[in-house]
Amino acid sequence: MKKLVSTVLGMAMVCALGSLAHAQAPTDPQIVGIVQTANRIDIEMARLALKKTTDPQVKDFANEMISDHTALEKSVNDLAAKLGVKEETSSTAQQLKQQALQERRKLNTLKGKSFDREYASHEVAYHQTVIDAATKTLIPDAQNAQLKSALQGAAPVLQGHMQHAQQLVQSLQGGGSGF
Amino acid sequence: MENSMSQMNRPATSPSPVVFLLFLALLAVLVSNAAGQTPPKSPQNIIVIKQMHFDPPSLNVKAGDVVEWKNEDIFSHTVTASDGTFDSGLIAPGSSWQTTITKTGDIAYHCRPHPNMTAHLIVQPLVGAEQHEQAGAQSTETSQASLRWRPPTKPEEFHPILVDFTAALLPLAFLSDLLGRLFRKQGLHTAGLWMMVYEAIITPFTSIAGWWWRNSEAGQLPARLIVVHEWLGTAAAVLFILLAVWRWGFHKRTITPSWTYLIAVFIALLALVYQGSLGGAMVFGQ
Ligand SMILES: [Cu+2]
Repeated sequence: MKKLVSTVLGMAMVCALGSLAHAQAPTDPQIVGIVQTANRIDIEMARLALKKTTDPQVKDFANEMISDHTALEKSVNDLAAKLGVKEETSSTAQQLKQQALQERRKLNTLKGKSFDREYASHEVAYHQTVIDAATKTLIPDAQNAQLKSALQGAAPVLQGHMQHAQQLVQSLQGGGSGF
Repeated sequence: MENSMSQMNRPATSPSPVVFLLFLALLAVLVSNAAGQTPPKSPQNIIVIKQMHFDPPSLNVKAGDVVEWKNEDIFSHTVTASDGTFDSGLIAPGSSWQTTITKTGDIAYHCRPHPNMTAHLIVQPLVGAEQHEQAGAQSTETSQASLRWRPPTKPEEFHPILVDFTAALLPLAFLSDLLGRLFRKQGLHTAGLWMMVYEAIITPFTSIAGWWWRNSEAGQLPARLIVVHEWLGTAAAVLFILLAVWRWGFHKRTITPSWTYLIAVFIALLALVYQGSLGGAMVFGQ
């Protein structure tokens, strides 16, 4: 059930980002805005998880998300400053924020194992969404070559997070029912 | 007669156990120092972590090598062996981590936060690896020369030959004196005395050949093992001389050595067995 909800949410995010392909291609400042929004959302989500979870695996994962996405955010900031690109908001960035808000509301109502499971499966869906957006829209549309290669460089870390989140989902399924 | 003898040697032997215990303490300090020491060898096996990759993704090393991972990425990573033999914990960007690899074979490792980062080490046993390197050049020569006797010239020939004497004489010296006491045979005690003396004479040469071998081998031997082996070996050479002197003292006063002496030789024997296992581990890998 929760898995279904997060899948639906994930699909909604894919639609939100996918609509970019049909709409006007995002400009470089908008791309920077989308990437940074995506980073901040995941950091905020991890902070929430650190507050609510007691599972050491989930804590480790959340700490890694904070550390990695903070590093990503900083590297994009540095690059944008170097290139003289100022991040701009866009309808895509707004939709991402909107969906994150809904997910937070949902996570706030959950506790213990059910919180951990929802958070973990959301992280799988979320990273998948961001990877799809990056490979299908953001990377092809980026005008500046350095911005393009920076986005390409970020793909493996997102892939790694997704695989780690998948492992987390599995291990939470494993020993979870007894608690 | 028997009574007066044991009374005679009692006051005379009392300083010897003290000396022996002091020596054991010194030995323990030496060994623990050597074991705790991190080898000063600078790692030539460096793996760089960059842009979510281990570079090189596959590296050949030898057992006992120090391998270092340098994190040049903007993210923290771990170096985690899939079989659990090592785990670095998080390595922050800009820092590095190193470990001594002892397990041989193909060791797969990954990064825990990023399971898509995988790589592996191929660890060859020390001697196996060297034989492998030399196999091409020497294969015909060794196959022809293997049965023909030649006088030993190299430390890797001297040391094992001398080790045979050291390893055989001590247990026989112990056994002769033990049986001598149990069956009250003077002849056995005489044998025990002389074998201990031979042991004391030959072991310094064994030790010297060992050091010579180690120096000619330079950095090729497993660092931790060799440090313990070389110091324990040197300590054993000195210890055997002291034991022989102690044993000689009994001979002058009475035929029978004390139980304290026998226990001391037995402990020395255990140390020698451990020493032999270290030597074996270095020659044959793990
Ligand atoms: Cu990693």
